This record gives sequence, structure tokens and C-alpha cells, in this order.
Amino acid sequence: MPDESHVLDLLPAFALGSLEADEALQVEDHLLSCWICRRESGDFRTIAVQLSLAVPPVDPPPELKERLMRSIQGSRAPQPVPAQASGRSWLERLLPVWGLASLALILLLGVFSLALWQRVNLLEIATSSGGMRAVPLNATDEIPNATGFVLVGADGRNGALVVDGLPPLDEAHQYQLWLVRDDTRTSGAVFSTDEQNYGGTRIRASGSLLEYSAVSVTVEPTGGSPQPTGVVVLDGFLIIP
Amino acid sequence: MKLSVDYARYEDERLILLVVQLRPEALDQLYERYGRLVFGLALAIVGDRSTAEEITLDIFMRVWQKAASYRADKAKVSTWLTHIARHHAIDVLRRQAVRPDQSALSLDEITPDGAIQTQDPEKLAEHLLLRERVRSAISRLPAEQMQALMLAYFGGYTQSEIADILQQPLGTVKTRIRLAMQKLRELLSEEQESEDKSTRSVHTYSISEEN
Repeated sequence: MPDESHVLDLLPAFALGSLEADEALQVEDHLLSCWICRRESGDFRTIAVQLSLAVPPVDPPPELKERLMRSIQGSRAPQPVPAQASGRSWLERLLPVWGLASLALILLLGVFSLALWQRVNLLEIATSSGGMRAVPLNATDEIPNATGFVLVGADGRNGALVVDGLPPLDEAHQYQLWLVRDDTRTSGAVFSTDEQNYGGTRIRASGSLLEYSAVSVTVEPTGGSPQPTGVVVLDGFLIIP
Repeated sequence: MKLSVDYARYEDERLILLVVQLRPEALDQLYERYGRLVFGLALAIVGDRSTAEEITLDIFMRVWQKAASYRADKAKVSTWLTHIARHHAIDVLRRQAVRPDQSALSLDEITPDGAIQTQDPEKLAEHLLLRERVRSAISRLPAEQMQALMLAYFGGYTQSEIADILQQPLGTVKTRIRLAMQKLRELLSEEQESEDKSTRSVHTYSISEEN
């Protein structure tokens, strides 16, 4: 028997967005602390989403797509952001001793996580008991055999990138990791790979890695670029639920 | 190093990532897959082709500009698109303050033609099956519940507004909407269970045949 304080009767209309404002606020407040109603609400929201399927798809006029493709030209240029890796001296680029130690630990965990990830599911985000996440990256058609993943510490302040299958580049080029948030791309690392096509680096980010939604790896001039200019060789969502 | 890429073979989530990388071809492909769905939904809500075109354009421009805000752990791409399309269409109606007395969607228009554009037969079949189940469930609702539901979902009206439109007591409208949604949940759940049983029995049969 539901508790009288529950809002079960309001949930169907809440899912449809047809409650009055004060009732909607009442439901939102209640859902914050009631898992029973949250579960029910989720069910009704699923039903509401499925209602859109009842509508027959309709062909838009062909010129609409042309308008769309014209509109996006120049509508969203990547905003210049400072590349944290470039502009630093070679000395500054060297990781301090503690950094090397933690990076080694992270990379060891990475190798372990990579093996685990490959065994379990290529698309699942692996989560260690300590809260560290290993987020797999996708290869693109540029280098289809490339693999990689981003390791993110529980608090998001530390992270590492491990890649495999990326061939070493010529002296004029390096790989660069980009952290994506809304329309901005921030450099997270500039790195090279060894003759075995393997590489790893610590991720440098201003703020928490949990604030970024996606990452990509591009080929850039040695030292890195202020914004992505080269082909994308790896990318993925940096989803931290 | 630049290769020719067949975007049609990418999963939706992968296309979103490519949009994040500013690849117009990925947006083009998403439009190919979901342009009809978004346009059809917008048209059903606003009832005007020209406005529905602008809404469709806005939605895909938003995808281009805000693809990085998509959360794959929260919703499928199709769900995300229909969610923002519905809300945007209802916002447009409210801004225009010219709303039809009834939802622009006629129940007669719920016909079995049309589907998402995909090269994956399994996904297409799954989508068509779900569509058929939803349509079937809606058609089994009592007429007065269906009417209230349509006004709420496709018209974006509040329950009080629906009571005014239908000239029914507010309590009656609340009951109709609640019962309609509960009935849909029950019907869709029944059909899902029935489908699961059917799949299991086919699977069992296949295994025993192999043995």
C-alpha cells in the first residue's frame, strides 16, 4: 500500500509534462528522496518517450537538408584554447618524480584494466573498486586498428591515456589528446608512441576531468596545437555517470 | 592518410562523436536517419509544414552545436532527438500562442508506413516492432482517455487547459490521463513479456533442434 505522502497519482501526468507548475515542483521535490516514486516515474517517462513512435515519419522537403548543411558552415568553429602542453619548456614537460611514480602506477593499472576490458566487453566502462574508471576509445577510419583508453581517478583530478596501434610519427608530428566540453577543446596531452605502436601519458587538465564530456586524439605538429587541426585517430565519450 | 568513410555503417552514438569532431558528414547521416522522425513529430505537434521545417532545422542545428552535451548513458540518440524535438515544438506553439483546440495529430494519421532510415535490419525490425506495439496499445485505449493523452503529449497542454478544452471537470481529466498512462504501461509490458516468451520458445526450439 503506497504511503500517502507518495506522489504516485501525479507521476503519469508528470511524465507527460502536463502537471501545473506547483504540482510539478511537488513531484520533483519528492523524487529527490523517494526511490519508489523515482522508479515509477522512470517507467512512465519511458512510456511518454515511446508515444513519439506513434507518429508516422514524414519526408521533409529535400531543400531542408541543403539549408541545414549550408547553415552549419562556419556556425561552430572550434574555439581557440590554450594548449597546455605546448608553450612549456622541455624541463617543465618532464614529470616530477612523484608524477612518474603515479603515472607508472596508473599505467600498470591501465594495462591490467585493458586486459580486463578486452576480456569482458570492448564497449563497457571498467570501474575499479577504488572508483577509477577506464573509458575505452574508438578507432576511426584513419587508423582502424588503433585502440586506447582513458583512465580517470575517482575524483577526476588525475588521469592517464594509454594507446596501442598508433604508429610512431615523423619528427614533425605528435599525437595530441583533446578534452571536449561544450564547444571548447582543451589540450590534455601531447605524446608520441614507440616502435611497438604503444604509448602512454598523464593527462593534464585544468580542473576535473569529470567536467569534460568527450575526448579525441589527433595528429598535430610537434609540441601540439592550440586547437585541433589534424585527423582524428581516436575518440570517445568521457562519460562519468 | 585520408580515407573514404562510409558513415552509414556507424552506430548513432559514434555519429554523435563525429559531429563533436565537426564532421558534417556525420550530421548528414543523422539527418538521413532521423530527419523524417523529427519532422513528422514536429508536424504532428504544430500542424504546419513551414513551422515544422524550421523546428527540424533548429533541432539538427542544436545537434551540431551541442553534440558534446549528449550523454549516451542517459538516452539513445533517437530518444534524445525526439525529446528535444517535442519540447521545442511545444515551446514554439506556446510562443506563438496560437494553438489548435485539439492536437494537430489525428489518430487516423497513425498509419503503419514509414520507418527510421537504417542499414541495420535488426535495428529496423526492432524499431518497427516497437512502433507497432505503441500504436496498437494506443488504439486500445478508450476514446476519451486517448483524446486527453493526445492533448497532453502532442499538444503540450496542462491538465487544467485540457479540462477547459474538453469542458470536463479537472478531476475527470486527471483520471483519464492517469488511467491512460497506466493502461499503456500495462499493455506495453504485456506485449513485451509475450514477445520475450515467444523469443525464448524459439530459442529453446533452436537449441533442441541442434541437439
